[in-house]
Amino acid sequence: MQQIVSGDQAAFSELYLRYKGRMYYYFYRMLENSADTANDFLQELFMKLIEKPESYNPMYPFSTWLYSVANNMCKNEYRKRGIRQEYQEAEAFEPQIDYLSDSNIKHEQVVEKIFATLDSLGEEHRSAFLLRYREGFSIKEVAEILELPEGTVKSRLFYAKKLLAEKLEYLKDEIEF
Amino acid sequence: MNKNSKQLLSKALRNDRIGEPDKAIEDRLMYAFLLKNSKDRVRQNSFSSFAGWLFSGQSFALKTVMVSMVVFFSIFNSQFTFDSGKISASDSISSRRFLVADSAHFIQLVDSLRVDSLN
Repeated sequence: MQQIVSGDQAAFSELYLRYKGRMYYYFYRMLENSADTANDFLQELFMKLIEKPESYNPMYPFSTWLYSVANNMCKNEYRKRGIRQEYQEAEAFEPQIDYLSDSNIKHEQVVEKIFATLDSLGEEHRSAFLLRYREGFSIKEVAEILELPEGTVKSRLFYAKKLLAEKLEYLKDEIEF
Repeated sequence: MNKNSKQLLSKALRNDRIGEPDKAIEDRLMYAFLLKNSKDRVRQNSFSSFAGWLFSGQSFALKTVMVSMVVFFSIFNSQFTFDSGKISASDSISSRRFLVADSAHFIQLVDSLRVDSLN
């Protein structure tokens, strides 16, 4: 980051190449699986880094900081759209997912169904779930990124897993990864 | 959810492919990076950042201390100067004159010098 602050373009390019895929995926899954929105947010994220590199706190690992900025961007977007969903609402609205209709279900479909289930839980649960299981962050790191107590993160993961467990009971015997 | 299911889930997510971001983003970012750095280089030789700091609300306590120190020294410095009691107006009864070395007093006439040398 110090190299970026001092204007090293090669350092910035390397940083972008290292994180572009992961951040794109995060935005894509957090923002309604839209490639256009994910591209816009990816660009905005790195523009923030260019404009204000001094906002990075070296006390934290870079990846943790970058994900926390990305997560705040997603939260702002949700606030703008006004589609923030609470767990209670999710319980009332059960997604219509046909899990057993196709015995030769493909890997992509499984993932889509996982996210369709997670969508019903709201962005708070989805972000915790993605950071933990896709990105492999520890509970402590997820808590730092989401600026939440570790207990809340554990709780959110528990609810997400609980809901998915019901669905995966059907899926896990049918699919080979 | 058992451990096997968790691994299954984690593996499913990690193998998930959604494609690559738009390549034009990288070009736009590199251009923005170059532009930002060129602006910074121009700004390095200017006082805009210092002036900005000086007239901003940042480090207000430090600025207050510095200004009060300058005021304090400027007041006391003028009070302790010996010239401070100097009378500018002349009076017929008492007149204070300062003896100042003047180069004009040391000019001697050329003729007197010649007389001296002859003696």
